[in-house]
Amino acid sequence: MRASAAHARTAPASTAGDELALSCRGIERSFGGLRALKGVDLDVARGEIFGLVGPNGSGKTTMVNVMTGFYPPNAGRVRLFGQDITGVAPHRIARMGVARTFQNLALFKGMSVLDNILLGRHVHMRPSALAALFYWAWAEREELAHRRLVEEVIDFMQLQDIRDEPVEVIPMGLQKRVELARALVAEPRLLILDEPMAGMNQEEKEYIARFILDAREERGVTIFIIEHHMDVVTAICDRAMVLSYGETIAEGEPKAAIAEPKVIEAYIGQRAAARHARAQT
Amino acid sequence: MFYRRAGISHTSYRQERQLWPLPFDRRLALFVLALTILAPLLVDRLYLVGYLMPWVIWSTATLGLNFLMGGAGQIHLGYGAIIAIGAYSSVHLVRAGTPFEIAIVAGGLASALIGSIFGAAALRVKGLYLAMATLAMQSIVDFVITQVPAISGGGQASLPVPTATFFGIAIVGDLRSYYFALAVCLIVTFFMLNVRRASFGRALAAVREKDYAASILGVNTFRFKLVAFWVSSFIGGVVGAVLAFCYYRAVSPDQFHLDLSIQIVAMAIVGGVGSVLGSFFGAALILFAPILLNQAVGQAAEMFGLAISADLRAHLPLMLYGGMIVGFLLWEPLGLAKIYDNVRNYFLVWPFRHARH
Repeated sequence: MRASAAHARTAPASTAGDELALSCRGIERSFGGLRALKGVDLDVARGEIFGLVGPNGSGKTTMVNVMTGFYPPNAGRVRLFGQDITGVAPHRIARMGVARTFQNLALFKGMSVLDNILLGRHVHMRPSALAALFYWAWAEREELAHRRLVEEVIDFMQLQDIRDEPVEVIPMGLQKRVELARALVAEPRLLILDEPMAGMNQEEKEYIARFILDAREERGVTIFIIEHHMDVVTAICDRAMVLSYGETIAEGEPKAAIAEPKVIEAYIGQRAAARHARAQT
Repeated sequence: MFYRRAGISHTSYRQERQLWPLPFDRRLALFVLALTILAPLLVDRLYLVGYLMPWVIWSTATLGLNFLMGGAGQIHLGYGAIIAIGAYSSVHLVRAGTPFEIAIVAGGLASALIGSIFGAAALRVKGLYLAMATLAMQSIVDFVITQVPAISGGGQASLPVPTATFFGIAIVGDLRSYYFALAVCLIVTFFMLNVRRASFGRALAAVREKDYAASILGVNTFRFKLVAFWVSSFIGGVVGAVLAFCYYRAVSPDQFHLDLSIQIVAMAIVGGVGSVLGSFFGAALILFAPILLNQAVGQAAEMFGLAISADLRAHLPLMLYGGMIVGFLLWEPLGLAKIYDNVRNYFLVWPFRHARH
C-alpha cells in the first residue's frame, strides 16, 4: 500500500510542469492560532478526477478556498496550468478557467434557474451599462448566442421543466444540479466540486457521479472533488488524497489511500482502528 | 379575464425574452405610454405642471436610485446631493455658453465622477455604515454649495437658469418642458427594463445577493459596485439638469437638501425596491398622497360640518400619510409593485386561485 501511494505521488511530478492542471507546494494557512493547513503539497494532472477526503475540520474546504483565491496562503505557492496564481483575486482565477460549486449552495435568490445558469457565462460575455441601454442593438445578439449554449447544458442536466422557476423554490437536489450546470456553462478547464453529493440519496448520487464522468469524457475537464461518500471516491476518482488536521496522511490510488491505517485511525480513532486491524487479520 | 397565459407559446428565445411576453401587458404598456404623450391634451395645464411634471421627474430620480438600491443592493442617503451636483454643473455650463446637449451630459458626468469618488470610499463599508457615509456626502456637498459663492451665487441667493436649446428647439413653456422630462424618463425607464435581461444587470444582482459566489463566476465585485454608483449618479445628475431647466428654472441650495434624499429613498421603498414599475408608483404616492389627503380631510370636514381646529386640520393629513406608509410597509414590505403583481397574478389564473409561480 505504501508503495502504491509513493508511486502515484511521483507519477505526475515526473511529467513536464505544464502537464499539471494544479500544483500546490507547501501550502500554509492559519486562522488566528489555528493552523488549518500545515504545508500541504498537492498535484492534479490534466484530465484527472482527483478526490480530496478527510474528517470534518481537516482543512479540505480551506484548501479549495486557497486554490480559488478566497484565502491567500500564508506560505507556499499555487500554480494553475503552469501559471503562478498565489494571491490572485478570485474573479481573475475564474477567468483563467476555474469553476467551483459550494458545500452550502451559493445560488442567487430571487433569480430564475435560467438566469442563475446564464450567470455562469459571465466570463465569456462583455457586460456593460451601455450595451444594456442599447439592448436591441448591442446586447440581444450576445444574450441569444449564450442562451443557446446554456440550453445545451440545461438539456444535459435535465433541468428543462424548471428553468423559469425562481431558484429558491426548487428542492435541494435540483438546486445542486443547477449549481453544477452554472459551473459547467463557464466551460472551465478545472472544475472544483465541494461535496456535490452531500445530503443526496443513492439515486441522486449515481446521477451526479454519471454527470462528473460525462463532463470529463465529453468536455475534457479536470475535476477536483471533495467528497465524504467513500464509495463515490473509490468509484470515480483516479487518485485521492486524505487530509487530517491540515496534513496529508495518505495519497494515491483511492482504494489504497483510504485503506491506510493512518486514515482509518483519523476517521474512527486509535483504539477503534486497532480493533478494525485485528478484525481484518 | 383579460389576462391569459394559456395559448401563448413562444417559439424563439427572442420572443421569450421580450420585455412584456404577454400581449396584454404589452398593450397596457403602450396604452400608458400613449396617455403620457397625450396628457397635455387630456388634462388642464395646471395639472400638467403641478402634478404630471413632478411625477415624471421624481420617477426618473427614483429609477436612478433604484438602480443602486435594487440593482446592486447599496443604500444611498445622499441622492439629493447627486441631483444638486448635476443641476448646478449643467446650469453653470449653460451660463458659460456651453450648448445644453453637452451641458446635460456633463452634469451627469460631474455627478457620476463625484458620486463614485464618494462611492469608492463608502464601499469599503457596508449596510448602516454605508448609509452614514452617503449621509456625510449629502452634508459635505450641501456645505460646499452653500459656502462657495461661485457655485450657489452667494449667500441665500438662487441662481437663475437660462433657457436651454436642445438641438435647435428652445425648451420654453410647459409643453416642451414636459416632453423633454418625459423623454429623459423614457430613456431611463428602458435602460432599467433592459438592464435586467442583460449580462450587466445579472452580474449586479449576483453581487447584491452573494458577492463571494459572484466573484467565483468571474465578476469583479468591487468594480461592479462602483459602476453601479457611477451609473446611478449619472442618472441623478441628468435628473438634476432636467429639474433645473424644465421645472425649477432657478436653483437654490435648499431645493436639494436631505429631505429630497429621504423623499426619493421613501419613493423607492414604498414603490418596491428594485422595481421599475414600483418607482412610478412610489413617486406618485409620496408626491400626491399628502395633497389628496389634505383635500379629503378638508372635504370631510365641510361635508359633516365637523368643527376641526386649524392645527388638527393641518396635521391630520400628515398623520394619515405617515400611518399609510407604515401600513403599506407592514402589509406588503415589497412595496406597491408587489401589490400590483398580486392583483395581476390573481387575474392571470382567475377563476382559479393559485398561480403556478
